[in-house]
Amino acid sequence: MSLCAQSAVLSLFPSVDGPAAGVLPNYSIHVNEREDQPVAGQAAESDRDWELFQLIGAQDRVAFAEFYDRHCARLYSIAQRILNDATEAQDVVQDAFMQIWEKAGQFDPKLGRPAYWVVTLVRNKAIDRVRASQRRARLAESAGAEAALVPAVAESANARLHGHEKATLIRSAMVELPADQRQAIELAFFSGLTQDQISTQLSQPLGTIKARIRRGLLKLRDQLEGVL
Amino acid sequence: MIIDERMEELASLYVIGALTGPELAEFQAALQASPKMQQFLAGLQPAVEAVAGSIPVVAPPPELRAKILARVAPQKVVTLPERSFPAALWWLRAIATGLAALCIVLLLDDRQLHQTISAQNRQISELQQLAQTLQSATNSLNQTVLSLRESNRLANVRITMLNSLLADAPKMEAVTLWDYQSAGGVLVVQNFRNLPPDKDYELWVMDEQKTPVPAGVFHPDASGTLRLDYKAGRFIKTPGQFCVTEEVKGGVAAPTIKNLVLASN
Repeated sequence: MSLCAQSAVLSLFPSVDGPAAGVLPNYSIHVNEREDQPVAGQAAESDRDWELFQLIGAQDRVAFAEFYDRHCARLYSIAQRILNDATEAQDVVQDAFMQIWEKAGQFDPKLGRPAYWVVTLVRNKAIDRVRASQRRARLAESAGAEAALVPAVAESANARLHGHEKATLIRSAMVELPADQRQAIELAFFSGLTQDQISTQLSQPLGTIKARIRRGLLKLRDQLEGVL
Repeated sequence: MIIDERMEELASLYVIGALTGPELAEFQAALQASPKMQQFLAGLQPAVEAVAGSIPVVAPPPELRAKILARVAPQKVVTLPERSFPAALWWLRAIATGLAALCIVLLLDDRQLHQTISAQNRQISELQQLAQTLQSATNSLNQTVLSLRESNRLANVRITMLNSLLADAPKMEAVTLWDYQSAGGVLVVQNFRNLPPDKDYELWVMDEQKTPVPAGVFHPDASGTLRLDYKAGRFIKTPGQFCVTEEVKGGVAAPTIKNLVLASN
């Protein structure tokens, strides 16, 4: 099943076939109570992303360059993490930025945060490539094995995007997540596994996986409120 | 809609991209119907962003930025430097400018000319149709004129039968067509009796005063037939009787009554 076919905002999302990719939110029905503002986490960074999207929609190359500088490290890191291949990661990032250049003008702030959109855009494109190359099982295994946080001394993608202070807060939130919750979340996001596949991968009941993902995301949401 | 624990699970799986199958359809329907659910889901987005950014940063290669920005760069337009022409060649520019202006004028003229030609072609076509119509009318009028002329000509002609006055040659007969305009006509005879070589027949036309006017002599061949174009010796406006006499060769000035052989009624 294609993500695009499931979404009312089809053009803003890459096509991700098969159940493993899961389904990303349907932005068209994410209506904020303040309809003229982007939803969730009304941070200045998100506002700036939205401003840049508007400028990019008007074919402003300076704004596009700024958006690239703000997000490329994180997006490239996601692609590299999922694909484990520098060349393919570059291709994915390049495709994603071309899509941003072409579609940013159509982005509706009611649909969500631009940062969330570009993250899922790159994630889905990368997972599409993984499926195409039949490397999924190997990558799923590696994802499970590498489900560890960035060492405190290393720079995270969050640090590159949000600065070290916020990155520390985010890291703290992640550290406080139980390992089983974090692992289930990472298998879903970075490996593109469905809940059933995660259940199989981790040899845990499906209900347990659902609960772990729910609890983990809610905890992150609560701890990061006002940060992102 | 109450967002219970199960719906929170579905929302969490959905936002992280792990929800599939019937649960996906169920959740999407709930999402459509519930603003609360939409709000709840939106609140989970930063959590997903945090997860995405929790991995070690891998710096993209420097050339990637240039490559991507180059793809959105405008097409370079090659323009000649303002002073690429030597000052001494200013007249080349002037000529080029003039030629360009001339081309524009010619193009405009050409366009107008095409329009004029098209209009004239239309007029020619219309005139050709009119000419055909007039030609047809002319032909019809010519036919009418010919017919009228024929009628007029016949109106100016008098046809008169001349019958034999001889008991021994009753089949002798003649017809004369008299043309009033020329005061002459045509005489056609048949079954005429043969004459000795020293004699001729002579045609006479009575004028308004019933005076016989000679109109010509003739000598039919052995078959007794003849066609004679004749003209009265003087102008007669309205002829009276026609008659034929036997006379000496070459004819005479006054008819010999005893030799009268044919006469009209």
